[in-house]
Formats: sequence, C-alpha cells, structure tokens
Amino acid sequence: MPRKTYKTSETVDFVVVGSGASGGIMARELSRAGFSVVVMEQGPRMAPEDFEHDELKYRNLSGITNNPTTNPQTFRRDPSQKAERMNGRNPLTYARIVGGSSAHFNANFWRLHEIDFIEGSRLGPIAGASLVDWPITYAELEPYYTKVEWEVGVSGLAGASPFDPPRSKPYPMPPLPVKSSGVLFERGARKLGLHPYPAPMAINSVFYKGRPPCAQCGLCGGFGCEVMAKSSSVWTVIPEAEATGRCEIRAESYVFRIGMNRAGRATGVHYFDRARNEQFQKARAVVVCANGSETPKLLLNSGTNAEGLANSSGAVGRYLMFNKGGGAAARFEHPLNEYKGANVTRVLHDFYDSDPKRGFYGGGGFDARSGGPLTWGQSVPKGTPTWGPGFKEYLESYTYWMNCSGHGTSLAQETNRIDIDPELKDAWGVPAMRVTYKDHPDDKKHAAWLSERAVEIMDAAGAKQIVPAEDAEASGGVHLLGTCRMGNDPSTSVIDKYHRTHDVRNLFLCDGSSMVTSGRGQPTQTIEALAFRAADFIGKFARTGDI
Amino acid sequence: MDQPIPSRRHFLAAVGNLASAGWIALNWPQIAAAAGHAGHAAHDMHDMQDMTPPPTTFTTLSATEAAEVGAIANLIVPGGTTPGARDARVIYFIDNALGSFFAAQLPSFRQGLADFESAYATRHGADKPFSAAPEAEQVAWLQEVDKTAFFTAVRRLTVLGLIALPKYGGNYNNLGWNLLGVEDSHVWEPPFGYYDKDYAGFEPYPGTKPYTA
Repeated sequence: MPRKTYKTSETVDFVVVGSGASGGIMARELSRAGFSVVVMEQGPRMAPEDFEHDELKYRNLSGITNNPTTNPQTFRRDPSQKAERMNGRNPLTYARIVGGSSAHFNANFWRLHEIDFIEGSRLGPIAGASLVDWPITYAELEPYYTKVEWEVGVSGLAGASPFDPPRSKPYPMPPLPVKSSGVLFERGARKLGLHPYPAPMAINSVFYKGRPPCAQCGLCGGFGCEVMAKSSSVWTVIPEAEATGRCEIRAESYVFRIGMNRAGRATGVHYFDRARNEQFQKARAVVVCANGSETPKLLLNSGTNAEGLANSSGAVGRYLMFNKGGGAAARFEHPLNEYKGANVTRVLHDFYDSDPKRGFYGGGGFDARSGGPLTWGQSVPKGTPTWGPGFKEYLESYTYWMNCSGHGTSLAQETNRIDIDPELKDAWGVPAMRVTYKDHPDDKKHAAWLSERAVEIMDAAGAKQIVPAEDAEASGGVHLLGTCRMGNDPSTSVIDKYHRTHDVRNLFLCDGSSMVTSGRGQPTQTIEALAFRAADFIGKFARTGDI
Repeated sequence: MDQPIPSRRHFLAAVGNLASAGWIALNWPQIAAAAGHAGHAAHDMHDMQDMTPPPTTFTTLSATEAAEVGAIANLIVPGGTTPGARDARVIYFIDNALGSFFAAQLPSFRQGLADFESAYATRHGADKPFSAAPEAEQVAWLQEVDKTAFFTAVRRLTVLGLIALPKYGGNYNNLGWNLLGVEDSHVWEPPFGYYDKDYAGFEPYPGTKPYTA
C-alpha cells in the first residue's frame, strides 16, 4: 500500500513532533483512533539494510545521533559561568532518525516501581532538590506498562524478582538466552544473598508480531537492529500507524517553531524540509514527543519573548535529570566473549528503594553488560600501560572482561536545565540549546555506593581484577528527563496529568521531559507507557471537541 | 537491484558456519524470509571489505610523515609474536581519518608532529629521523613525550585504526579483531563464552512464582 501523504495546506488532526519511543506510539494510537496524523522527524528514514555494524561511525562519528558540528550544544556547571561547547561532543545525545532513540537503545525495559511515583511525600523534602510526587500512580500506569510489553514486544520472566511491582500479565516472550556476564553476575549476587533475575528486554526472543528473534549479533546500544528483533518504533508502531492509511511519517523535517494564533491556540508547526526550505504544516493540535532536550528547546524557541511557549510556570527546560550510576569492570579467568549476544541478560533490583540508613537519597538497579571492542579499547584501567607491550597485553584481554553497571536516581534540581544559548545557532540557524548541570551531592554519594556494591558482586563472582568506576561529575547523558514535568499545579509544572500543557489547550507534550522523577535508569518503557496513556486521553479530548 | 543477492548469500553463509543450529534450524524458514524482506538484513562485516580494497598509498600524509607516525603507532601496539599496528596497517587508517572525518584535526596534528620531530632532533641530532632510530632509543623518547597532546592523538588513532572496520583502512585482514579475540560474524548463538556453557537454568527464589505467557 502506498504511504499516505498530506499537503502542508491541509489541516490534519494532529502533528506529532518526533518519531521515537513516544512519538511512534502516539502516531499509531491516534491514527488507529481515526485521526489524520503527520509525524515530523528531524532525521532520515533508514531501512534495515542501512544499519551497519560500524562502531566507529555510530559511536564516535555521530552516525545516527545529533552531531556536535551541525547540532551543537553548550555546557556549563553553574549559571554564573559562560557555557562553552565541549571538545568534540555534545552533552545531550539522542538518535536523529525515524524511530528516534528507540532505534539505538540497549532495550532495557524496566517498569518504574510504586515508590517512584510517591517519593516526594515519602522521602521529601531534600535540600537543594525538588523531589515531588507524580500526579499519577503506578496503578494508573500499570495497564499501559502491560500494553507496551504486549504491543511493542518485551521478553522477560514475570514474577522472577521479589521486587517486581504488581503486574496484570506476564511478558509475551520468554527471556533471551543468558550470556557469561549474566551467569557471573547471577553467581556473585546470589552468593551475597541478592536476587538477580532474567533481564526484561525490548528484544524478541522468539518470533513475535512478524519480527524474528534476536540474532545475538552483540551490537544493541548505539546501533540500529537490522534484523528488526529490537522493538524499536521504526519496526513496530510506525509501520502499524502507516498501515491505517491516515499517518504520514515525514522524515528530514526539522520543526523549529510551533505556530500560534492570537487566541493562544497552536495552529501547526514551522519546519525545515530536507532541502532546508521553510514549510508550515497546519494541524488542529500539536503533540510534541521530541525527547527531553528537543521538546523544551522547541518550546523555548516558539515564544514571542524569552520565556518561550507554555512556560508560565518557568519550568520548561528545568529539572533536567539523567540517571546517575556507578559500577565496576571486571576481568575473569576465562573468555566471556561479551561482544556476542544481546547486551544485557541479568539484572537485580535489591537496591531499588532509597534507604535512609545509607545516609543519602538514592536507589538503583544493576545489570551485567558489555561494550563493543572499539569503545572498550579506548580506555585502560588505572595502572595499566597506555602503550607498548603492556597495553597490547591488555588489548588481548578484551574477551575476558564484563561490566557490572549500576543505574540510579538523579534528583531534580531547578538549576539543572536546558535553555537557549544566547549566541550559538545550529546548521539551520536555529538557536541552540545550552545545558547547565551539576550533580546533587546525594547523587554522587549514591553513585559511589553503587560502585562499592558492584565491586562486591564481581568479587563474589570470582573476578581476577576489578576496576571500580571513577567518581566523576555528570556532564551529559542519553536519558533526558524531567524538563517539562507533569503536575496538577500550573504554577510549578508544564503539563497536566493528561499531558496537555497548562497554558495551551491544543498543545500536548509526551516524552522523557514529562517525567517527574528519574526512576532508576531505564526510562524508555515508562516513556512508552505514558505515550499509550496520553494517546488514550488525547483521542478522547479530540472526539469531544476538547482540543 | 543486485544488492539483496550477495547480502543474502552472506547471511546464509554466516548461518551455515554455525556448528549447532539450535533455534536457527527451528526457525529457519521465518528467519530466511525476514532476512530476504530486510534486503541484506544480516549483512556481516565482510560486506565492507568486499566493497573497499585496502589502501596501498597515502592521500593525506607525506611518506615522511607516515613513516614517523607509523613508527610511533607500532610502538603503541608493537608487533612480535603476534601482529601489531604495522601489520594491521594502522597508518592507512590514520591517513584516511585525517583526510576525511578527522580532517579538522589535521593542522594541529601536523603541528604536533613537527614539534615532536624538532624536539627529537634537538636531543638526538637532525641527521636521522625518529623512525630510523634504534627501537630502544625510540621507546626511551616516547616515554618522555607520552603525555603530550600529539602522542595522545596518535594513540587514539592507533587504537581506532586497529579495531575499526577494515573499510576505513586499518584492521587489515581483521588482525586487530584477532588480537582482541573478536571473531568476525554477524550471528551467534549460545553458549557465547566459557561461563554460560553449563548454566543450569534460572532457579526461582523462595516466595516467588515466575510465570510465563
């Protein structure tokens, strides 16, 4: 069936900005509900055969991610400093292709736990942070977590973790086969009385919804999956949206401003097409799913003044969170061959809840994982020669290593934010984002604590050499969260519990920016559950003329 | 139009090389269909090499520059009983990189090389370059300069040239991957390594009841 296209002069029901984890779901749900939808994606559309096993290109040369040359950002620790470009990289990274970051994710799909939604009232306030409750509960989101697992496709073993939050259905697919890192991680953790379990992954372990099981090629994080086993939007919900005949995916279309009329309603989006000509797509409503950095950037660039659009709260771009973590690399006696197989096969959530006895706020989960050889070879542990025979011997040990990685909380802080750099523009002439970020002291303490636990687990697993992660201040990330937080109070939040902006009735936001707290490290399933839920409500609003 | 044919051939070859077929045998018709649908859904790394013959001439660096940088690279990852940077033709990667995706670094790289050579000449005389010195003298000199930005740049390029895809000029004949123990294939199946060979299966914890669809 030929793909549906719309003229820019046609007023479609919805423009969805972004085609990633949330945008793809939004497109499918709204088009299946009978609405006309145009999805705007900055990057190109890649076919399965376009993805390469090219670690240099994808990991070092921004092959499918925002490029620091054409999409530059600046960074500073503190609002008193002048933000500068970083050497050869951007602080905030996301995939810039159809499918967004769901195309290159590692595919760890962790649900949030019940506590994540109510930590503000249980553990707050915390000095220097804005730890508040979500306006929704885990129970409200649970059906949508289940929907993600069944509609998008997640493999795992329900009920295996004693810390698993309540669920209404098991996973639709069994877990992926365990690899050596998973076995060692499980061995060490069980010795310590912990509860590792098969990792829930958005990767097919069997044929599911017309897509094959994982070929175990070993390159998940940072790469697209050319066998389509990874449950990325580009292989799952986007084709289903297009199959309705009501959804157009418009690639290489960079939205730089939301159109507004004098009545304060969104009228569509201004964008650059692939020839960099300005265009305007008319729409009855706009849903921005552009990720936790591009969504606030778009709003801040869409106002008639410095405040930006939908920002009466002043919260647009603020409360930026990553997922602070700590861990350890470990070398074992025999080869693990971690370059083979899906990146993660075992996780544990024993340390998920924050425990006041630790003396700081923070919780996290662990996984056993690995990196590609090119990424691994570029750094050496302290004390290892950086060149010469000793370095060569280290290179020869590649297959004997694994990582025990802790993923945890980042506290929301008002001063951690994305705003618009006063000078820098990108290759399209669009004002670029400026990032201001400093770890909360509790985040740093928690990360160091996680590294200590990782060392214990690897030691119990029998590692011959353990290299704890160095304590370093966060200077960027790929989990881009909290920058247009949801809440009931329009003076402190950007969107309501239905993802509608408090200020503009027909403007909705749904992606990592909606999150109120950071969770423990793997936000994508939550972003997708939020998208399914938001789409339900947005569709209802549209049917009743309430947009 | 011809693209899917060799790619499909590669996929079939990759699958055929597996000693025990496991789930692949079980699911073969669907996987083959999916691979065909995906064009060259499971192209392996050989595709890159098939298309791009390894370079044999320098296009960015002069022969003199290449000799100097190549000598440094070969001390960063020395040859010997197993191949090193020279055997993996890392210098061709460096030449390619500085002429294309790292071209912005070329002026500072050249300046760094000039500084490296002039400092070496000041110490050891200008009659012969670093690359012509005895190895012990080269190693001793690198130990003095291995904190410089230039050396760091050569080191990074050497590692990238050793491990990046052969299509970029280095990692000749997969020698870099061989050094690391990385086999060149696209499709794997368990056991992947030593420790998952005899995994007995996941044992549920007391009080839990794992369940499946």
